[in-house]
Amino acid sequence: MKTLQYLKRHIVSSLLILLSLSMTLAEAYAANVAANDDVRDYMVVVNRPNNMHFVDLTTDKIIRTCKLPSNLLIGTVVMSRDRKTAFVLAGRFDRIFGVKINNCELIFDAQLSYDNVRVKSIGSIAVSNDGKEVYTIHNPTRIMNDHYEVMDTKFAVYRVEDGLGAKPAKTYPIHRQINIMATGNDGRVYLSGPDVYAIDPTNGQIETVIASLNGNRKGYGQPDVLTIWPLGQINNDFIRMYTVPKFIDETKNPDTATYMWGYERVDLSTGNTEVKDFGPVEQVFFTGMLRPNHPDEFYAVLTQLRRYKVSEEKAIRSIDLERTYYCINFSSDGSKLYLGGTYNDIAVYDAETFTKLNNIVLPGGDMSLGTFQVFSLPKAQVVY
Amino acid sequence: MMKHLKAINKKAQLLDAAVKKTDNGSNATNNEIVDANASAGLEEVVAMQSVVGCTATTDPGWEVDVFGGVAGLCQPMESDLYGCADPCWWPAQVPDIMNTYPDWAKDKGSAEHDWRKLGDVFPKDKE
Repeated sequence: MKTLQYLKRHIVSSLLILLSLSMTLAEAYAANVAANDDVRDYMVVVNRPNNMHFVDLTTDKIIRTCKLPSNLLIGTVVMSRDRKTAFVLAGRFDRIFGVKINNCELIFDAQLSYDNVRVKSIGSIAVSNDGKEVYTIHNPTRIMNDHYEVMDTKFAVYRVEDGLGAKPAKTYPIHRQINIMATGNDGRVYLSGPDVYAIDPTNGQIETVIASLNGNRKGYGQPDVLTIWPLGQINNDFIRMYTVPKFIDETKNPDTATYMWGYERVDLSTGNTEVKDFGPVEQVFFTGMLRPNHPDEFYAVLTQLRRYKVSEEKAIRSIDLERTYYCINFSSDGSKLYLGGTYNDIAVYDAETFTKLNNIVLPGGDMSLGTFQVFSLPKAQVVY
Repeated sequence: MMKHLKAINKKAQLLDAAVKKTDNGSNATNNEIVDANASAGLEEVVAMQSVVGCTATTDPGWEVDVFGGVAGLCQPMESDLYGCADPCWWPAQVPDIMNTYPDWAKDKGSAEHDWRKLGDVFPKDKE
């Protein structure tokens, strides 16, 4: 009898333990799901003189402002893949900072110039997928007393673990005139130059993936590209716009040509490339992006904001802005537009209606040519 | 255009020769992808990329846009001020913050509010 009572008690207590354990696991799972469900959009943006702002785009409130050690110009921001570290091209195109967005810790600082060699990087910055390497372009010039010596351009690889005062771990020869860059899922780095190239940072091997200036599209002239803004992280793509004359016949008469806007794009997930016109040149734009979840809609901005239906090569919505914005970006679901650059506020628009929703005013001065990034993170991973 | 212009000084003759070289070098056929190194007509652009002093860009700036009007210009002009000075984009109109006059806009963070405080710059005498 005693044995039976003992067994009963034991079974009941075991069941209670199991029940309590399963409830704990269920609660933990529920909490985890809730935390993961609350994935929000965030922004990192820099402005004069040395501010880096981390913004919650659900509330449009600044979570924290990090003060960086030097002048931030040009202030091109790219995020590591884990979205925990922002890398900023700063110091008048001559310095790269790596900053933890949750505590402003400076974990990386590389001065590009050395000795009497002045090195500039024109908007060129990317991070490896594992976050261990930073890539940039060196445009070096040796400054002598009586002359300048223009040196060869290099693709430079820095190790993040080298921390403050990092020097390039590797350099490879590269074409001149490189500006923006982005890392593909396969680890290759896509580069915007006269053409679009991909370089393997393990061995320096270069491949032309989009022939642009040196391409020869039938019926088209040479495209003209202007970019210094590495956008596209929200879509995981590398993208830049071009203008190009589209001729009506073999005579290639520029007087009868239609000038078209288009984009050159690399899908960073697959490496697939795309060259596509999206509308006639009727306005000037500095940046443009495909709308997330709407692959047939392209938006572009400068003093006007325009939405294009790519397949029909026509604008379907257009407004004059209150002022010029250089830089466009989207919320991850494509419902909101963020316009930045020039002054010190980010304009928030409804991407469907172009209704102005807000202005996020950044303490400090102008953003100028800086690039800001929008990305998603579980709220639980953000320190408020 | 070049058919109606005659080079009369050394610099113009050099430009003329460069244009002729480019014309002769552009022999790509349709749908042919030409590697940058193989395109003999396109000379390597060195000066723009060295960015020691300033660019050689002479685009029309804040006066007229690509269509000959003003709608395509940055508005107001102050919104474009540092965007042009920071990368040395308009050498004739604003100082080059990137290289030659790095402190031209120091402590004047907002072009909209501080533009009156921005001064002229002059080349320094050699010491």
